[in-house]
Amino acid sequence: MADDLVFMMGEYQASIPGDRLYSKNHLSLLPTSAGFQVGFTAYSVRLLQDVYFLDWAIDPNTRVREKQEIGEIESSKALSTLYAPAEGTVLDFNEDLLNDPSAINTDTYGTGWLFNFETQSEFLSPPEYVKVLEAGWDETQRMIKGQIN
Amino acid sequence: MAGTKITVVISQSQGKNPSKRWLEEELAAALIMDPDVDVSLVPHLYDLAADHTGMLFLKSVPNDMIVLSWLYPRAAHWILDRNGIKGHQGATLLKGADDDDEVDEEPPETSGIGPSSVPDRRIYCIDLRETSEPATYLEEIRRIAQETSVQTVDLMQWIQGQPEPQQLERYLNLQPADQPSNGNGAHPGSNNNGNRFSEPDAVKRRWYPVIDYDRCTNCMECIDFCLFGVYGVDHQERILVEQQDNCKKGCPACSRVCPENAIVFPGHKTPAIAGADGEVAGLKIDLSKLFGAPSALEMAVHERDVELVADGRDAVGMEVGIPQRQTGQPEKPRDELDDLMDSLDDLDL
Repeated sequence: MADDLVFMMGEYQASIPGDRLYSKNHLSLLPTSAGFQVGFTAYSVRLLQDVYFLDWAIDPNTRVREKQEIGEIESSKALSTLYAPAEGTVLDFNEDLLNDPSAINTDTYGTGWLFNFETQSEFLSPPEYVKVLEAGWDETQRMIKGQIN
Repeated sequence: MAGTKITVVISQSQGKNPSKRWLEEELAAALIMDPDVDVSLVPHLYDLAADHTGMLFLKSVPNDMIVLSWLYPRAAHWILDRNGIKGHQGATLLKGADDDDEVDEEPPETSGIGPSSVPDRRIYCIDLRETSEPATYLEEIRRIAQETSVQTVDLMQWIQGQPEPQQLERYLNLQPADQPSNGNGAHPGSNNNGNRFSEPDAVKRRWYPVIDYDRCTNCMECIDFCLFGVYGVDHQERILVEQQDNCKKGCPACSRVCPENAIVFPGHKTPAIAGADGEVAGLKIDLSKLFGAPSALEMAVHERDVELVADGRDAVGMEVGIPQRQTGQPEKPRDELDDLMDSLDDLDL
């Protein structure tokens, strides 16, 4: 198994576990028998901060295309639409989060998982994901600062 | 004297939503009683054809006017402009107390080509979605009425101008205030039978772009991108919406392609496309882009392809009418290099 990695967001250490894959839209994909268990990454949760509300726009067992809208999330700092990480089928959602999404913050890579996903698509290895983060960090900071102004 | 009355036009909502109808009727009922106000009801502005009696009435108003509609003020202003109902945008103070940090009364910086020949009068467009409380609107209308009645009425403009036939008609056949039409004092602006509360002439819902000429730079990207022949140019080579009914219902693709966000679809669900002012970002940041939102250009191309296929034509994807500029690049802060480049320009070598 690959080593766990860390990406420095300023002072904050975003951990990138080595036991799973990553998508460019900042989701983590833990291999399971049925496909992948999809969750946020520490990077996305750090930007969101405390999650207040999570809502899915599709039903379980829905085929989706890449970048299809699948839900919405609201946190103390941000609002966002959520998009499918790739073409595939969303099998089922983590029901516990719908009542209380706080596990997304407290256990991002564990009980804070979002949905199970079946797909044939390729994803990024942990080192590749860290490269994506390094390449995008400046622009992400600019985007956030630009919206705050 | 009564000549300084300000005209208030209430543009009705498209559906028959009872709470919207209630607000419209509350306002109309209150304004009829107001001696400083001339109130009329017309159907939804966006749906009015150029020769609809409601539109003809709007065209006949020579002076300052307040237009209440279920539209963003920017959308309402440019719908009127497109129909030849031109004027300067009057500043309303309604726009929520949370905008206090913005500098008021400062005209926004515009880099657009501007509308053509704007007469010296103000049109105040007010969004009826601001609040459901009639008193708030009435207060603002009276404030504006005060503001405008202080200005001297420019009779010369009237005399030298060419009054429309309807204007002359109204001028010559002034209805005495104590002889209201059908029991109220409103001008039957929207219908012929004089009953203000009857359904105005039926209008069909429409879908077409409206250009904000304060933002439009005449770059022609919309005319290149739209493959349905909606856009054209006038004799001064200015872009215009020429065949508005060629436009595909629900498709806002050209608006996404416009680099200045100058194309408004008043009926679109996204506030930025429907004509909300400036950045619509609330207090929270929008991370959609981070989580994989397709770029505006990708969405525009997809929407255009859907409409092309629906018309039995071939999808063209990214092959036709794609702007050559780089899209999706966030505006970067100026750096030393930018300053250096500018100082080189200033050297006038």
